[in-house]
Amino acid sequence: MTLFTSRRSIAARLTLMNVLVSGVALLLAYVSFFAFNLLAYRQAAVNSLSGEAQIIGANSVSAIVFNDEASAQTTLSALSNSNDVDAAAIYTQAGTPFAQYVREGNTSLQPQTMPAQTTVMHWADGADIQVASRIMLQGKQVGIVYIQAHLHGLRQQAIRYAAVAGVILLLCLGVAMLVGNIFRRLLAQPIISLAQTARLVSRYRDYSLRFTPSHSYRELASLTEAFNEMLAEIQHRDKALEQGREMLELRVQERTAQLRAANQELESFSYTVAHDLRGPLDTINGINYLIHHADYGSLSVQSREMLDRIGLSVKEMLDLIDDLLNLSRANSVGIHRKTLDLSLLAASVFEEMALAHPERKVETMIHKGCYANADKGLMLIVMQNLLRNAWKFTGRSPGAIIEFGCERKGAEETFFVRDNGAGFDPAMADRLFKPFQRLHAESDFTGTGIGLATVQRIIGRHDGKIWAEGEVGKGATFYFTIGPHEPDAPNP
Amino acid sequence: MALLCPAQPAAELTPYDVEAAYLYNFGKFVRWPDAPAAATAPFTICILGEDNFGAKLDSLIANETIQGRSIVAKRLSSITTADACQILYLGDSEAPRLAKDIAALQQKSVLTVSSMPDFIQHGGMIGFVLQNKRVRFAVNLPNAERNGLNLSSELLKVAVYVNTKTSPEEKP
Repeated sequence: MTLFTSRRSIAARLTLMNVLVSGVALLLAYVSFFAFNLLAYRQAAVNSLSGEAQIIGANSVSAIVFNDEASAQTTLSALSNSNDVDAAAIYTQAGTPFAQYVREGNTSLQPQTMPAQTTVMHWADGADIQVASRIMLQGKQVGIVYIQAHLHGLRQQAIRYAAVAGVILLLCLGVAMLVGNIFRRLLAQPIISLAQTARLVSRYRDYSLRFTPSHSYRELASLTEAFNEMLAEIQHRDKALEQGREMLELRVQERTAQLRAANQELESFSYTVAHDLRGPLDTINGINYLIHHADYGSLSVQSREMLDRIGLSVKEMLDLIDDLLNLSRANSVGIHRKTLDLSLLAASVFEEMALAHPERKVETMIHKGCYANADKGLMLIVMQNLLRNAWKFTGRSPGAIIEFGCERKGAEETFFVRDNGAGFDPAMADRLFKPFQRLHAESDFTGTGIGLATVQRIIGRHDGKIWAEGEVGKGATFYFTIGPHEPDAPNP
Repeated sequence: MALLCPAQPAAELTPYDVEAAYLYNFGKFVRWPDAPAAATAPFTICILGEDNFGAKLDSLIANETIQGRSIVAKRLSSITTADACQILYLGDSEAPRLAKDIAALQQKSVLTVSSMPDFIQHGGMIGFVLQNKRVRFAVNLPNAERNGLNLSSELLKVAVYVNTKTSPEEKP
């Protein structure tokens, strides 16, 4: 419903109400007034006719007693002066017609039966009236006079009343409509402007608006007050909410900055530690190498073994440090994405591993054309870690197969590295990617426990996902995706 | 009720019956001078001479009243006993003695009625006449007034003729 029709309906209803109430009241008043007047008019006519009947009766006594119809006729004909009288008749005591008078164009009178104990009687049927009067002579009845009349004045009276009432009704309806308009201005208009204010508030969410009615009524005033109070309450809450949100935002920013600073500090610390650890280790390695080459022959078997163990430990530690540095780098270096052929990358990693472990016989399967938009250095770390993992865990499986490939599911490319090695317990799958968590005994497979954590960080920084499927003794498959590249996305 | 059926006389009533009814009804339209002693006495209708009405009149007036008084009918043998009458009907047989009778009633408030022709011209007050076979009556008003009788205008209205002038014949 539009504003226009709703405004109209309020006004129309008010006016209609006024018109109806006044119209009905007027009509009732008029009808009762009219009925009363018509009854009074008829009663007056009846009285007058009764009087005439009695006079005629009195004047006809001798005519009846002495059998003089002509005289009675003359008396009756005096009624010709009464315009309403249609017919009249005198009946004798025996009930036989004695004298008749009929106005031109009317039929003769049909007398009603007069009840006993009455001297004057009348019968009324609308505008038709019959009056009867007994003619008495010294206490004895000698006859009855009847007068039949049609009250022409009644109709005229009714028409006159109807005309007057019509005019008054029209006047009253006009006044009612006028009053209706005033009511609309006084009552409906404030309600409409209240609704308009409410609409403005809800449209522009401006809770500072207030409604000020042009007229004040008790009911409207309380409505206005409630409305404005509601607005004030909303405004107040709005403000508090805004303040709360701003404070929260500020706090979040603060915390984020603190967190980032702490993280950076930690990373640079671990990077420094790892980097600086390499120095002494290189020295130890160098000395070990010199001893190995210069004095190896002069050493006892026991010393040689110990030197070899020192070399192995140093190498393990260097691997650990490399992994730590990778992890650190995975967290901190900037990402420079470009389109990479991961198949090619996988091939180079395999080649490298085959060279390093010529004693291993591993079948490698590489799907061609697996492209990803990612950072080259970081993706190399990913491929190295995953493929080395596969290489490592197939170490005890004869006929080892390692597969790298990709499959498209919808818009997303999923890459995978599959092996038929030792596999893992699926219940432990969520622990795979946590740093320093190992699912196998150090004696079975060597490792630092940092590689997969590093991989997960790198995939995470590429907005991708990584997950693993496997079973103990039945190999493992690592899946990962690379998130879509958003050139404008900030790289922290 | 049958006593007052003027519309039906032609069918069943003889002119005498009608005259009897009229005779009694005249009493209702005439005022007699006040006579205190007579107020409670019966209203007397007298018939002198030939009686044409017979028992009809008696049955007519039985149980009737005129001005609150009961009515009696008396047959007189002589005019001298007519003092107590209110209405005196002179039969046709009185025609020869009419002048003497009228003279005897001088100064007496007795309404004289007769069917004799020219009764009112000879000193009578109300005379029956036949008009179109219907019984009507003529009135000599001065004769009545001279005897102190007051005839109502209603009565005069239905009279076929009313003499209002003093006529020379009625002098004694």
